[in-house]
Amino acid sequence: MTRKKKEREEDLLRNEHIERMLSPHPLSFMKLQSLCLFLIIWGVFVYWLVNFSDWKSLFSGSEWYPVILWGLILLLVGIAAWLMAVRFSIFILYLGVFAGAVGLIIWQNWEAASSLFILVYSVAASIVGFLIVELYRRSHKYIISNLRIAFKGGIFTKQERTVRYDKITDINAKQGILGQIFGFGTIIPITQAGFGLGSDKSFAAGGVELGGKKAKLFGLAGGGKEVQIPRARSYYELHGIYPYKEIKKLIENLVQDNVITPYQQEQVEFQKQQVDIQKQMRDLLKVQTKTKKERPAAALAKMREEEQEEEEEEEESEEQKEAYEQEQVDIQKQMKNLLKKQLEVKEDSSEEDEEEEEPEEEKKEK
Amino acid sequence: MDGLQIDTFVFAPLAPILGLLLFWFIQLLFIENQRYMLSKIWHKHEPLCRFTNFLGILYQTICHALGYTVTRSGISDFVISVDYGKVAPKKEKKGVFEWVSNAFLFIGPFFIPSLLLLIYFILLIDSSAFSFPTGHYDSFSSGLQNFGTNLYRFSEKFFVFLSNIDFFNPLHFGFFILLIIVGLGIRPSYIGETKKEKIDMVYDLKNVKNLLADKPLYLLFLFVIAYIVFYISFFLEHGWYVALFSFLGWLSIIAIVSIIITQAIILFIKNTDELPRPWSFLPYIVIPLSYVIMRFALFFYPVDFSNSISLIVMILSTILITFLLLKYKTNKFKTKKNIKKAEEEDDKEEKRKRRRSTKE
Repeated sequence: MTRKKKEREEDLLRNEHIERMLSPHPLSFMKLQSLCLFLIIWGVFVYWLVNFSDWKSLFSGSEWYPVILWGLILLLVGIAAWLMAVRFSIFILYLGVFAGAVGLIIWQNWEAASSLFILVYSVAASIVGFLIVELYRRSHKYIISNLRIAFKGGIFTKQERTVRYDKITDINAKQGILGQIFGFGTIIPITQAGFGLGSDKSFAAGGVELGGKKAKLFGLAGGGKEVQIPRARSYYELHGIYPYKEIKKLIENLVQDNVITPYQQEQVEFQKQQVDIQKQMRDLLKVQTKTKKERPAAALAKMREEEQEEEEEEEESEEQKEAYEQEQVDIQKQMKNLLKKQLEVKEDSSEEDEEEEEPEEEKKEK
Repeated sequence: MDGLQIDTFVFAPLAPILGLLLFWFIQLLFIENQRYMLSKIWHKHEPLCRFTNFLGILYQTICHALGYTVTRSGISDFVISVDYGKVAPKKEKKGVFEWVSNAFLFIGPFFIPSLLLLIYFILLIDSSAFSFPTGHYDSFSSGLQNFGTNLYRFSEKFFVFLSNIDFFNPLHFGFFILLIIVGLGIRPSYIGETKKEKIDMVYDLKNVKNLLADKPLYLLFLFVIAYIVFYISFFLEHGWYVALFSFLGWLSIIAIVSIIITQAIILFIKNTDELPRPWSFLPYIVIPLSYVIMRFALFFYPVDFSNSISLIVMILSTILITFLLLKYKTNKFKTKKNIKKAEEEDDKEEKRKRRRSTKE
């Protein structure tokens, strides 16, 4: 048995078994991969523009022209992505790539071969980017068991979260065009605690919300709307899982199996009441047997001395008996009522079922 | 005026219309063939087929939306998925507007993607070398001639460009990618997982026929407009009329070429599917490798038509490698005798292996 398998089995609860173990589809992080793809395409294009195109004479003025053009477009795309996807990190990433390129050119005096440097640097940065994205993708592990969903991940900091099916109130599923083509999709289980819900905020003058603080760069005016939407980090959702349809059905079935229906809830209540009554009965019997045992012992010891009091004792025990019987009758009545109620509920539910079935049968007949 | 009067006033306007119809039917035939080929590789390449479906639906919905925009109906709902597309107008307009928007839906996908490619092509090639279609004519035969000449002039430039395409030029490479994307999606027919209803060329034609049969007056109206435009251009001695149809003919040619290239790629995929792994990857490696080697070789030993030579070498080497692999790694080109021999040899080898294993 491999170490990983052993670890997995150690993590399992009692009566728990794994249904599926999943990780995101290789193309499910296309948003991140496209950042690297753009970098590589733009780097190649700039190299061609500067060296082989009809406009190459435009760049003969200075060795820095290609770098400026390359960086300017990179930052513009970063800003556009920042505004459109509300992700500041994209702009910071491209800014970092641009700053790195400028720093390397100055440090190594590569101004003369700036266009070639841009090409090599873009390709190298893209490859590193692709590797990081792949590493990030592989760090995700989703374990679907018969009792819960476990989300595990993290490259350096290990994160783990589990969601039990009985706590899932809603399932949000989405499949983009790429997902529809390749058969993967994202499923967000939303819990009663709000796990799986995020919010979108829009501002009047194009400001961007950043971790609770408003970025003032474009935010001329504040305020706005907040909309709760199903959203979670990729570690806390079933991100880009394949095969999407099959997994979605599996989870829906598992959630369904773990949800108690109103009828089942009533039955549980009845069972609880039954247990209470049985407890009462048991206590009563205990008390009865106790008094029976105590009574002959006391009678033997005081047989002779208290012969006269016997008649009085008999009267008392008869009274006790009557009291016990009365209590027993009460409990039996309670039981009867409970059973009646149960029967009524059963009959009601069966009638409802019949009513539901009838139209289907009628439809079939039609 | 060389032609007879009846020829000039009755038959001459029909010449470019018939020419265009001919090209459109050829386009439909190629589309039908592509649909058949795609359905053959569906099980092994579902994502590719889903992608082609998505492209087809995308073009169709965009054309439909364009129809609603042109007729000023507005768009209230716009949905595109891999197997479903829906465009709903804000205002339900009847009559001519409905007819025009339906015409956009059924005929648009055949021409509008090609129009995008044509614009890209015009921007790519030297604009001074590009000439718009012309030709004043007065008879049916001269109309057909002018239509043909316009198409020939365009085709010549288009094929020269294609045969000299430079894959090291990002703009050319982008054009080629767009050509494939247009070719894959220029197909209103849907290829599904299950064949619920027969959707093919006949189905497409039926849609167009229904569109025309539904409102025959509008068709008559279109013919009247065509005749009026012809008479105006005829009396003003301009070639507007034939130019308009020639332009549509260009779009048809672009569509046909893109479909042919796409079909070649699908055929290539279908053949490589028959190869055992890892040999099936080899032809895919040969394509870029042979091209890059040729381009570098011709960069150091320059000759005329280096781009064309590189392209030809790339195509031929890929075909050759695929053929050789099919011949030696599959039973595709083997006769029954050869297959029997190969099976006998395989059996013998298996027996030898068993003996060795039992001895050990």
